[in-house]
Amino acid sequence: MKRASLFTAVTLTVIGLAGPTLAQTPKGPLVNGEWLEKNLSDPKVRVVEVSVEPGLFERGHIPNAQNVVWHTDLVDTVRRDIATKEKFQDLVRKLGIDKDTTVVLYGDNNNWFAAWGAWIFKSYGFDNIKLLDGGRKKWEADKRPFDSRVASVAPSQVSIGEPNSKLRARLSDVNDAVSKKSNATIVDIRSPDEYSGKVFAPPGSQELSVRAGHVPGAINVPWVRAVNEDGTIKSADELKKLYAAAGIDDSKPIIVYCRIGERSSHTWFVLSQILGYDVRNYDGSWTEYGNTVGLPVVNVAGTVWGGK
Amino acid sequence: MASEALTSQDKAYAHRIDAPQTATAPGSPASFAFVPSLVRLLVSAALLVVLAALAYVLHLNRQPGLSLSLLLGAAFGIVLQRSRFCFFCNFRDWFDRGDPRGLFGILVALAVGIVGYAVVFGAWLPDPSSGRLPPDAFIGPVSLVLPVAGLAFGAGMAISGSCVSAHLYRLGEGSATAPFALIGTVIGFILGFMSWNTLYLTQIVGAPIVWLPHWVGYAGTLVASLIMLALVALWLSRGGQQRSQPVDDTPWRKILIHRWPAWIGGAIVGVIGMVAYLRVAPLGVTAEIGSRARQIASVTGLSTGRLEGLDTLRGCVTVIRDGLVSNNGAFIAALVVASFAAAFVSGQFKPERPTAGQASRGVIGGILLGWGAMTGLGCTIGTLLSGIMAGALSGWVFAVAVFTGIAATLLVGRRIGALG
Repeated sequence: MKRASLFTAVTLTVIGLAGPTLAQTPKGPLVNGEWLEKNLSDPKVRVVEVSVEPGLFERGHIPNAQNVVWHTDLVDTVRRDIATKEKFQDLVRKLGIDKDTTVVLYGDNNNWFAAWGAWIFKSYGFDNIKLLDGGRKKWEADKRPFDSRVASVAPSQVSIGEPNSKLRARLSDVNDAVSKKSNATIVDIRSPDEYSGKVFAPPGSQELSVRAGHVPGAINVPWVRAVNEDGTIKSADELKKLYAAAGIDDSKPIIVYCRIGERSSHTWFVLSQILGYDVRNYDGSWTEYGNTVGLPVVNVAGTVWGGK
Repeated sequence: MASEALTSQDKAYAHRIDAPQTATAPGSPASFAFVPSLVRLLVSAALLVVLAALAYVLHLNRQPGLSLSLLLGAAFGIVLQRSRFCFFCNFRDWFDRGDPRGLFGILVALAVGIVGYAVVFGAWLPDPSSGRLPPDAFIGPVSLVLPVAGLAFGAGMAISGSCVSAHLYRLGEGSATAPFALIGTVIGFILGFMSWNTLYLTQIVGAPIVWLPHWVGYAGTLVASLIMLALVALWLSRGGQQRSQPVDDTPWRKILIHRWPAWIGGAIVGVIGMVAYLRVAPLGVTAEIGSRARQIASVTGLSTGRLEGLDTLRGCVTVIRDGLVSNNGAFIAALVVASFAAAFVSGQFKPERPTAGQASRGVIGGILLGWGAMTGLGCTIGTLLSGIMAGALSGWVFAVAVFTGIAATLLVGRRIGALG
């Protein structure tokens, strides 16, 4: 264990030395804890936590961070949809975010919901959106401080337009890809057991589909393959190789999906923001496709819903 | 060894401490008072050191939730045992003898906790009117089920001689009733699961979830709650104040052997409640019992289906867990071990052979406790104590129902000769 932590420390030092000059906003879509800790009081940097476990933010968050609740803030709570323009505008104004603010998102669960947040921010035309590499877990593991007080911020007067539909895939886009009307590559980022149809949903998940399996033609690359042991995202070169080996590259547009669209936001972020591919997130995901009457499904495991 | 015998004052305390058991069970109380006090001290200290070491190992392994739960559970167990923080016994002292001191302890715990929660809430949720509830605080729905659950829970307390938390610390005192009451609680939980869907769909689903600060702000809630507690205290002491006899003994014996004044125990419980909410989760003792009961119910096929809406509610809600120890499990285990340590050092560990009466009253009372705690989404610690501290209307409603349930059961039970 000691050896492992020593190794990590050495690796971190090497990365730190090779990294960009500190205090300047990093060019890429990721920031590390070291940079963030030095820039927490910068009024042009707004740190936003998007975690799913209740009470996590309140019991301790990155100093000056603001809290966003996925279940109520980033979605429409009545229709199944992303937050409306009006709702999201109210939210970003309250968070004091302007068009030129650098927004750093982070959260629990390997940044799944933070990545969903990044996808929504990007959809509504915010360009300076970054993820804290490794999320809460890495920040904590690096022994950086948490705070339980909520910082008050001056609201902004930003105005936003309709969301950019080019970042989002709808059921019709998926159908077009299945029936070869479009040449999009579909990537299923769920676990191999969900992909094969062995299970309907990960253990403990409420939102179920009444059919198991995957979209015909979808390639299975579980989201977790894009991250290192410590939760940070792999280097661009590694990612490029990894996805190319599965037949995913920038030659064709890509559609990613999972169960409800949150884990696929993670892969959407990796493919679009880090590798620069043309990617749409299909937030309807398996709970829409797998429940739609009459659509073709591949169920390798042969699991039957409700049957013994 | 003779010098280790309890003083007459000790005996007076011991009598009160064990009143619910000795009154019903002559049994054969094998007091461990004959063990020299140094040995008792060492055994108890060793147990606490083991708990502390475990907590430290968990802390080193980046399990802050488990580590803190262990420490808070130990502190809670010691305070419950030393100050006899037992909702039922304290109520009965007042009900039978007009002595309100034990109930004052509960009022002090609530007052300290209400202030502590307000301090935490102010930092976490500066604007309580936003419509959002503070995270995982025990703010439950107020439906007809809640007073019914409270009445059942109160009846269970009167029949079994304690609430769930007191049975847990009594386990550490070697109580003969406590194991049966806890078995009954598990059965009661399973019955609760079986009745849950009907109750939820007909009563609970549309019930209002009332968080007082949302309506009257933090200041309003603080003032209203504290005035309410003061009025209750005035009403309880209307029969004239009882003078406490000052205990004349060495400080060590005051801490290790004599019962702590109830209000000091209450103040510490209030602080533990606030710290637990700040760092881990609100105080509660039935989440782990409930999830184990749910596992049993699902393995035996008694209740396999889905429990509607349970995951969306606040309280000691039971979730199906894997085999690993949960925070609440660590809390409960430490509570029992530490209360044993506290009881053992003071010579109050008196294992008894259970009588048939104790066993049956334990199981029957326990079933009512379990059913009430499941459908009421918590017990006297979770729904009542943590709920009132959090400014939940559900906490007050449950409190009224629980004490009404105890009084009614005692009156009826004594009239028909079933309760002493």
